[in-house]
Amino acid sequence: MTPGEALRLLGAYVDGELDPLKTLELEAHLAENPEARAACERLRGLSAAIRAKADYHAAPASLAARLAASVPPVPERPRRLALPRWLPLASAFACVAALAFVAATLLVRPGEDDRLAAELLDAHVRATLAGRAFDVASSDQHTVKPWLSARLPFSPPVADLSAHGFELTGGRLDYVGGRRVAVLAYKRRQHLIDVFVWPGEARPGLNLSRDGFNIERFASNGMSFWLVSDLNRNELGDLAKLLAERAAL
Amino acid sequence: MSEPGQRFERVVLPHLDAAYNLARWITRNDHDAQDVVQEAMLRAYRFFGSLRGEAKPWLLAIVRNSCLSWMQVNRPADLAGFDDRAVDAVPTEEEGPEAQVLRAIDRRMLNEAITALPAQFREVLVLREMEDMSYKEIARVADVPIGTVMSRLARARRLLAESMRAVSNAAGRMGK
Repeated sequence: MTPGEALRLLGAYVDGELDPLKTLELEAHLAENPEARAACERLRGLSAAIRAKADYHAAPASLAARLAASVPPVPERPRRLALPRWLPLASAFACVAALAFVAATLLVRPGEDDRLAAELLDAHVRATLAGRAFDVASSDQHTVKPWLSARLPFSPPVADLSAHGFELTGGRLDYVGGRRVAVLAYKRRQHLIDVFVWPGEARPGLNLSRDGFNIERFASNGMSFWLVSDLNRNELGDLAKLLAERAAL
Repeated sequence: MSEPGQRFERVVLPHLDAAYNLARWITRNDHDAQDVVQEAMLRAYRFFGSLRGEAKPWLLAIVRNSCLSWMQVNRPADLAGFDDRAVDAVPTEEEGPEAQVLRAIDRRMLNEAITALPAQFREVLVLREMEDMSYKEIARVADVPIGTVMSRLARARRLLAESMRAVSNAAGRMGK
């Protein structure tokens, strides 16, 4: 790799956007060229400085209020056509029966997970929208954990993961799937992450994406964990791994 | 939950901060950013049915377009070169030993330096560093090929590093 090409690809490398082959070539070049390494460090430093220090302009509350006033809560939509009356009743029955059968035999488990995921996603978005990410605001696990334990019939594991770039911002209570659950609120850069915890049986891990949000589930030590965030899937997976390690202790 | 209004609320509104941050950095003004975002959200609401895939780049593309139309009317001078797609980053010779400058970056200096960047470089930088978007998503927002995102980002960082260095050199001279 020529120094010119290395310099050209450095940004994409720092951004994690370089394909694996070029990454290997560039890393070999970096290993041999202290100047290129220094340039790489400068880029990382600049990127870190912007992320840590540049102003992030969150929408002011007045704007949200103006929007609430101008965006109708539920727009008019043409009503769906009712089933044509001439449709033989029997065939409708047959369809319904067939669907019910398929649902009952094949889809019960995934359906349950789906419903729960949708409910958790709603809970996450509601909390984010209302600016009510937590009932107890604290980055101290020794404050959050007793607060939650005092209000729940179980004691959720609360981990300080700031060393890994996941900042604990607080905890709250929520009601999901017919039970009271603990919610740990973490933050990474601008992304809010809700970790829903309740005592539950071990179920296989799961991750899915919906409406731009990622959802990840795992179980550890008798607790069920669901992570919901608009953070990318890899980093959300990292957090799941860290939490699983801590919970298993 | 299946009502479109509620779906809009769940899918699009969570990106309001990102929308405002982008508009604020493009227009460089709080008041203008509020107007532009309000208009963009209404547009997004109207075209919600056309959303395919991820909501965030889709919404930010609408916000960006609203910013551009607004600036065409109100501040055309700021738009010079905004859609110049031929801009390419030519890697420069190395930048000297002042790496420590970046470590001592001052918040106000940094904000001013970003604000002073030409608009087409400022927007990719904001999307990358503040919204943590991938090149592909940025390409969708800015409506340019991924290669252009890469070169604009490189150019943005180089300009920014240069201006930070110039400012801190000047500050250094004044201190002596």
